[in-house]
Amino acid sequence: MMTDDLKVTVERRGANGAILYTRGYINNVGGEEIANQAYELIDGGVDTLLLNLRETKIVNSIGISILIEIMEKMMEKGGRLGFCCLTPVISKTFQIMGLAQYAPIFTDEESALKEFGL
Amino acid sequence: MTQTAERQMELTLPMLPDVEIAAAKAAGNLGRQLGMDSDAIDEMVHAIVEACINAREHSCCVDQRIYLRFRGTAGKDGRPRIEVWITDHGRGFDPAHARAHRAIAPGRPQKRGWGLQIMEAHMDEVEIDSTPSGTTIRMVKYGGGKS
Repeated sequence: MMTDDLKVTVERRGANGAILYTRGYINNVGGEEIANQAYELIDGGVDTLLLNLRETKIVNSIGISILIEIMEKMMEKGGRLGFCCLTPVISKTFQIMGLAQYAPIFTDEESALKEFGL
Repeated sequence: MTQTAERQMELTLPMLPDVEIAAAKAAGNLGRQLGMDSDAIDEMVHAIVEACINAREHSCCVDQRIYLRFRGTAGKDGRPRIEVWITDHGRGFDPAHARAHRAIAPGRPQKRGWGLQIMEAHMDEVEIDSTPSGTTIRMVKYGGGKS
């Protein structure tokens, strides 16, 4: 109602990798949109997924809880999930909620792609 | 604004999806007017978002409203300060009980129940006054010069 809907763009990287670019507020609806895209990729064989949040400036704890569910699904599949280009406050919020203990956070996309071999 | 100027603002918001963004934008505008740095504004915005979501999700109030009051000052030390009160007329909650459920489950991050902790991490002061007739969360954020 007050903000634009979250937009998610997918970029495939090789046979088993992908980057999800988000733009907008990650709330419950935005989180579900990211999850839908991520689950489709994971079910299609993607085992290395990078979420680039460079155009997301606000998140809430409900949206992050959905990101945790994506991370759990990737962990169950034995794959890798990471985040990059977070604002300082979003990075801090990820740390508070413990997400950073289970998924790497990269300052920029280049270092994330290098680490993930994408 | 001058160093001793004070700005006050009140908002009454309906408990609708994403209404927290209206509160966040108002707080952000006030912070910029006072010369608060962008990181401090972002932290304040995220804390206010969580407070509004908690009110909307858990207060069960009959009037379905969130009442916000802001007081912004630029002190003699040049340090902007924003004080915000977020009130609902719901059933209240026990802050001690909420804090007791913060632990991270072994091996997996806990998904929900982080709102209060996020508020306390992002703000300089957080006080909760909760009774069976409503809750007011008072928070204070200090910010440096313009970034």
